[in-house]
Amino acid sequence: MKKLITLFFSSLVLVSAMAQVDKGNMLIKNGTVITITKGNLEQTDVLIKDGKIAQIAKNIQAPAGVRVIDATGHFVMPGIIDAHSHIAIDGINEGTNPITPEVSEEDVINPFQIGIYRALGGGITTVHAMHGSANAIGGQCETIKLRYGTFDPEALKMEGAPRTIKFALGENPTRSHGEGSGIVPRTRMGVEFVIRQAFSEAKEYAEAWSKYNKNKLIKGFRGAPPAYSYRHEVLSDILNDKIIIHCHSYRADEIYMMLKVCKDFGIKRIVFQHVNEGFKVAPELAAQGAMASVFSDWWAYKFEVYYSTAYNAAILTRNGVVTSINSDDAEMMRHLYHEAGKTQKYGALTDEEALALITINPAKQLGIDNRVGSLEVGKEGDVVIFKNHPLSIYGVPMYTIVDGIVRFDREKDPDDMRLVVDPKQTIDNAMLRDKNSDLDHCMEGAEFILDSELFNDNKK
Amino acid sequence: MIKSNTMLRGIHGLFILMLFSCSLFAQDEKELRPVSRTYAITNVNVVQAPGKKIDMATVLIKDGLIVSVGKGISIPADAVVIKADSMYLYAGFIDGLSRVGVARPKEDASRERVKDPGNPSPERAGITPQNDVRYSLNPADKSVEDLRNMGFTVSQVAPYGNLLPGQSSIVLLGGKSIDQMVLLSNSALYSELSGANNVYPNTTMAVMAKWRELYRQASQAKSYQSLYASNRNGLERPASDRVLEAFYPVIDQKMPVLFKSEKMLEAHRILKLKSDLGFALTLADLKEGWPIANKIKSSGAKVFLSLDLPEEIKKEDKKDDKKADKKADSTKSKEVAKPKTAADLEKEALEKRKAEAVANYTAQASAFAKAGVPFGFSTLSAKAKDIPANLRRMIGAGLSEDAALAALTTAPAQLLGLSDRMGTVEAGKMANLVISDKSYFNEKSKVRYVFVDGTMYKMDVKEEKKADPNAKVDIEGSWSTVTQTPQGSNDGKATFKKEGSGYKGTVSGGRLPSPVDMTSVTLEGNKLSYSYSLSFGGNSIKIDVEVTVEGDTFKGNASIGPRGSFSIEGTKNPKN
Repeated sequence: MKKLITLFFSSLVLVSAMAQVDKGNMLIKNGTVITITKGNLEQTDVLIKDGKIAQIAKNIQAPAGVRVIDATGHFVMPGIIDAHSHIAIDGINEGTNPITPEVSEEDVINPFQIGIYRALGGGITTVHAMHGSANAIGGQCETIKLRYGTFDPEALKMEGAPRTIKFALGENPTRSHGEGSGIVPRTRMGVEFVIRQAFSEAKEYAEAWSKYNKNKLIKGFRGAPPAYSYRHEVLSDILNDKIIIHCHSYRADEIYMMLKVCKDFGIKRIVFQHVNEGFKVAPELAAQGAMASVFSDWWAYKFEVYYSTAYNAAILTRNGVVTSINSDDAEMMRHLYHEAGKTQKYGALTDEEALALITINPAKQLGIDNRVGSLEVGKEGDVVIFKNHPLSIYGVPMYTIVDGIVRFDREKDPDDMRLVVDPKQTIDNAMLRDKNSDLDHCMEGAEFILDSELFNDNKK
Repeated sequence: MIKSNTMLRGIHGLFILMLFSCSLFAQDEKELRPVSRTYAITNVNVVQAPGKKIDMATVLIKDGLIVSVGKGISIPADAVVIKADSMYLYAGFIDGLSRVGVARPKEDASRERVKDPGNPSPERAGITPQNDVRYSLNPADKSVEDLRNMGFTVSQVAPYGNLLPGQSSIVLLGGKSIDQMVLLSNSALYSELSGANNVYPNTTMAVMAKWRELYRQASQAKSYQSLYASNRNGLERPASDRVLEAFYPVIDQKMPVLFKSEKMLEAHRILKLKSDLGFALTLADLKEGWPIANKIKSSGAKVFLSLDLPEEIKKEDKKDDKKADKKADSTKSKEVAKPKTAADLEKEALEKRKAEAVANYTAQASAFAKAGVPFGFSTLSAKAKDIPANLRRMIGAGLSEDAALAALTTAPAQLLGLSDRMGTVEAGKMANLVISDKSYFNEKSKVRYVFVDGTMYKMDVKEEKKADPNAKVDIEGSWSTVTQTPQGSNDGKATFKKEGSGYKGTVSGGRLPSPVDMTSVTLEGNKLSYSYSLSFGGNSIKIDVEVTVEGDTFKGNASIGPRGSFSIEGTKNPKN
């Protein structure tokens, strides 16, 4: 069906030119290689060719002209992946409507945000740049690689990564729309209703188009096509599992509700975000193949997040749910390895399990685990070199490498890493502060419809 | 963010000139028709086109057209002769985008609260592509004269609004009625990537989504209409839709989309829309385009670069520092010159990068010329009287004078499809001319005459004589000021204090939360000018006030960035 609609507009739609992405060659010598998927390899080299891991072995000879980094005594691990972030985008919430799947963060990528460089300093190489949580069905998100230095927003995209979209349950959408604008949803029931209604409309829309396209094949058919709706096009793609849902949620009841909605509409790909009460429905999540991306120990910032535990990630993991730990915050993003380490204190996860929470598991949740998230031949050359073990409190990222190019080098870390400067900006002491760094921005852009006094602490 | 924007709008609104205050400009004496529509400009250096100059020639104009250009032209008896000895004559300048002569909407409907913010009316959402700027033109608007005084004769003007405000027209900067002004209507579909206030589409991503949806819906509606037109029998009647129908000429590639695009990221996003949808595109008022000059070139988009430049960073600050140091030395005699702190060094480094950014903005035009991208200029966000100085800054940054002239004349004529009637000084072309007493790009040059469509406008050079250099006025003390704004008059206070040979001052009152120091005060005779800056959310706006002092009162203009100028009057308060 979608194909035919696409065909209808094929005369108008031109494929945008692929952005030029820089890829490098590099040999990382003699480190402890933490592959994540295939154990640890002592005193081993990793060779990256044209941005991809070409060889992992002992004593690899450096090809002529290839940069060699000596990692003796250091730990070499895959680049860290943050499955929930709001950096590198201009605009987080289109908070005007409870259903806005047609908007997409891919349109507003901002490669100049200093937060990208700072995240590299914490070993992050891939980020899920998400729409906010003001709407029940929010906007599409974008999986980006932190190729800081490019001036082209297209070059930040992880080309070919699956499409993803933000959903949100509970207090944020009910406050934004119910309390803020006096429209549905005002309650959790309302949130379920608007999602089901949107899906049902999308089904009708898709059926109307497929009927029209069938009729068009009949000789002598005369009739009007259904009116084009960008919103329903995207919703149909969700129903066809072409877009992975990333659903902001906290309470077990709403998580269970959303699992039922997915079942009813035949949706298979869903990742729950935050999921503070995920430990209560872990078997149900596992049974439906739903995944979970959580905080290590952050809660009590609003009513719906009081029933929480630091054992959440461990319980979910032990129940067979693919789990990741995310930041949702430009500052926390810089030490996700600490956050992962907490699961060893609370839940006694193994090193491998703990590190999987910030590498291969978020990769699975974004549908990019065949390309990143572990150190394996053929995967992309996204690597962090740590001084001391990444799960140690003394662990420090020394180099962060994306596609075989060093994007962060602790030894060469100039003060002013801004790519562009606004000549009208006033210079004050707070000049280099990233406006996106001090607060979380799940609700940014949606404040105007909220009673700001009531909703000052609009966290996650 | 939201808060500071609202504040910014509030302050901007505060200073907007009353557009309909006709009484200000009305002339008491009846205007007479010109004696003749034939003019002979003699003994003038004619720059026919960039790089093509004839010294001491004559230009003959008749009935709105250039009749002949050259030496030894016989002057008809009915001609008004303008002895332009040693002056310079150019083709009238052409502006790619402005809102000159366009009336600002009286009431800001864009702030009304809507019941369901997700489904506002198209008007509230800023989607009115069917609007025609002609219906909001005001030939008496002072901005027309202001821009013409700088040598501009033609401008592409767009309506006010955000997402899709309507269709632009190419207008002459002269004429008494709207129809006399309009040269070409519906020249482009004007658009900005700015969202609606508090309703859908509010963010840039929603604006882009809505743009795509409207375009695709219009394509669909258009093909259904043509299907219906070919055979109506048995087909449902296609609904009329003013919004979608406005896209039809764009879909047919008969009308370009004119997009305001100051920053690099905006340009990237607009080029993405172009590549998704395939419309003909003109980018206008570009300020930060040099890193993507080649991308713009290969996209086939046309481009107008902004004539607004960020303020030059003067090195006065350093002198002030020294002065301050000296003072510190004299008061605390034991303390030697302070060593630079880490904060000082950091500030210096930041200032250096800011200066580099200013230099890059200034060199944009030169970068486009080097990349071989044809470009014109736009004045949308430029202050008219800054334009000659900004052009000189661009030339100082590597743009050749010929290239600058081309961007004012031949290139925009080409880009707007007007080369057959303007852009050069040649027989047969429209009599749109600018005459300056020296080369236009000379610092001391003044525009003396502008011809628009054969009508002569003589520049008033008397203005300067008004200032009496020998007048002795005492400005020290506090003054009550009244500034005329659309919301009515706005009261404020300006205080001046003598310091050394000059003055220092502060501005307070109005909506200013606390007094603001003036950045400069100069008093020459009875001509007083002072400037101050207001900053909002990390951006600053400079306000320049120029008044003539007479005893205990002053009168003059205050200008704020591209918002134009508004009248200000002051009265000195008695000393306590």
